[in-house]
Amino acid sequence: MSERDVERALERLLFEQSGMSRRRFLGRSGAAALGLTALGSALAGCSIEGEAANQVNAKKQVTVNHPKASMAGLTWANWPLYIDKKTLKAFNRQHGVKVKYVEEINDNFEFFGKVRQQLATGRPIGRDIVTLTDYMAARWVRDGYCEPLDKKNIPNIKNLVSNLKSINYDPNRTYTLPWQSGGTGIGYNPKKTGRRLESVNDLFDPAFKGRVTMLQEPYDSACLVLLGMGVDASTAKIDEILKAIDKIQQAKDAGQIRRFTGNDYTTDLAKGNVWVSVAYSGDLVQLQADNPDLEFIYPKEGAMLFTDNMMMPKHAAHLYGAETLMNYYYEPEVAAKVAAYVNYISPVAGAKEVLLKTDPEIANNPLIFPPDDVRARLHAYPALTPAEERQMQSAMAQVTGA
Amino acid sequence: MLRLSLKTRRSLLPYLFLGPGLLWLIVFYAIPLVNQAGVSLMTGNPEDGYTLQWHFGTYTTAISDYSTQFLRSILYAGIATILDLIIAFPLAYFIAYKAGRWKNFMLLMVVLPFFVSYVLRTVSWQLILNDNGWVVHRFQDIGILGADGRLLATTTAVIAGITYNFLPFMALPLYVSLEKIDRRLIEAASDLYASRTTAFRKVTLPLALPGIFAGSLLTFIPACGDFINAALLGTPNQYMIGNVIQSKFLNILDYPTAAALSFILMSGILVGIFIYARVLGTKSLTEAAV
Repeated sequence: MSERDVERALERLLFEQSGMSRRRFLGRSGAAALGLTALGSALAGCSIEGEAANQVNAKKQVTVNHPKASMAGLTWANWPLYIDKKTLKAFNRQHGVKVKYVEEINDNFEFFGKVRQQLATGRPIGRDIVTLTDYMAARWVRDGYCEPLDKKNIPNIKNLVSNLKSINYDPNRTYTLPWQSGGTGIGYNPKKTGRRLESVNDLFDPAFKGRVTMLQEPYDSACLVLLGMGVDASTAKIDEILKAIDKIQQAKDAGQIRRFTGNDYTTDLAKGNVWVSVAYSGDLVQLQADNPDLEFIYPKEGAMLFTDNMMMPKHAAHLYGAETLMNYYYEPEVAAKVAAYVNYISPVAGAKEVLLKTDPEIANNPLIFPPDDVRARLHAYPALTPAEERQMQSAMAQVTGA
Repeated sequence: MLRLSLKTRRSLLPYLFLGPGLLWLIVFYAIPLVNQAGVSLMTGNPEDGYTLQWHFGTYTTAISDYSTQFLRSILYAGIATILDLIIAFPLAYFIAYKAGRWKNFMLLMVVLPFFVSYVLRTVSWQLILNDNGWVVHRFQDIGILGADGRLLATTTAVIAGITYNFLPFMALPLYVSLEKIDRRLIEAASDLYASRTTAFRKVTLPLALPGIFAGSLLTFIPACGDFINAALLGTPNQYMIGNVIQSKFLNILDYPTAAALSFILMSGILVGIFIYARVLGTKSLTEAAV
């Protein structure tokens, strides 16, 4: 039988013998589809849950008790290249587990966008530790998206450096524990620029037209530009931030700024496509290994200080395990290994002392352990209301074209 | 157990056959589509949530705010599709008619890039078009680029990226339709004193139309929604509508605008396809689908 015949036979079987014409058959499935569409619209009628529903007052003292439990399946979401994996292996050996370490956070907002629906509807997100930057950590704390820490399981919390013991969105560190801090300043290639830079406003030097990148994140870029305008970014009002975004817009329109990037500015900078970047201190230490010409400066007007925080998402399955892991990373010896590898600013007191013995070059690197005069110039992110934050984000999105 | 008559069973049979496919379409296509249509009519903000208000204004604002990116997407995707056609037609023609025993090898070469991730392929273009790279230097030597000219982070780079990434989508349908052509028809044309160009114009090309049609659709539609090339090879001045939708969904969490933009893009493309189908003749639309 040829293909055609099979088709014919099938058609006869389907339509003629059942007494149903092809037209009627199609009509019926049309009706079925319509019914389902109606069902679908009922579905769409549900609203999308907001974040404000379970807001939490972070100032309130909370005591929780997380008894010893199995750590099998402990999962940690972190940024790429943000840990010395040997330390993780040592932890695995020590506790006979295998921590699932996922380098999946490339952008705070993108990650939040991914897990937001589950958090808003009160479902677990399958990660026990997430590592988020201050402004995003603030949002999670405020919205009640994280579990309070049982500090009995984290005795090493005593090693937390004093200037981070309290932060505006989590004054008692009830929910968050710093992972690493870093400075947002300027990374550049003196060979290309032909001169040393020292000011934020060098970003706008017409000699570098088309050779400048900025970070997409307004908390970084706009706040840094704001410092260059002589405004203290940590107490800045939304109007001032919008002015800084305006300034960035003009620079973009003039062709001064080549791209707005996430962490990927590093490729362009190392390759020499870009000469000047708004950059993170730790990235530059790592890039210098590939391209020794590169330099990082904390501009004379100041730089932004960010901290990435470990936190346990609401309904996380392995609270005890997460806390044990946090405790492990607050041992000065372990923290020193991480600092030596990631080259960011360690929040663990005693790490520098360990490194002075093992790796004095790193211990004396001002990018990793900034001296006091630099520390005085580091500014925390401004505290914005959710509405203001949205205003800032969408103003910046207009500039970056997305 | 319920015993159904033969007749009832026969009448249920077609639904049984359709079942899996229909279920798939409903669960993964119809429901999400309707759901997103609902989302596009919601109002609110990420803080307080979004509720369905039948707010059609989102569409008009979306169009007026992002018309540049829409037009840019269509322009870039259009140019890339035409370039792909120009590159892929001779390629497919060669593979189908002249490659001989190299045919399978050449087809493999066309498909080979698919073995590497899309993002990775695009990132490698960052290296190729590097400011200090070979390509830029040679272009500067011949004078196409000025001394401080660049390729990376320009419109050229984005269109080149799209053209490269979607080339197999054009080449394969073209190859299939060219391969299918009965050679005797071309022989008959020359028997009837048609020159080689006339035979090509009157026989090969019309018979290859379904392939051209399918290839252009397969290239143009995904290229319109692409955001990888613009993000990796371009600047905000090259951002396409896909970049806007991506950032609205994931970064700004403005779901209604993102959904509205997606629907506008979808309906725009649908209208475009129908016009295109009319121009080429609807027959080739169904042929291309087979």
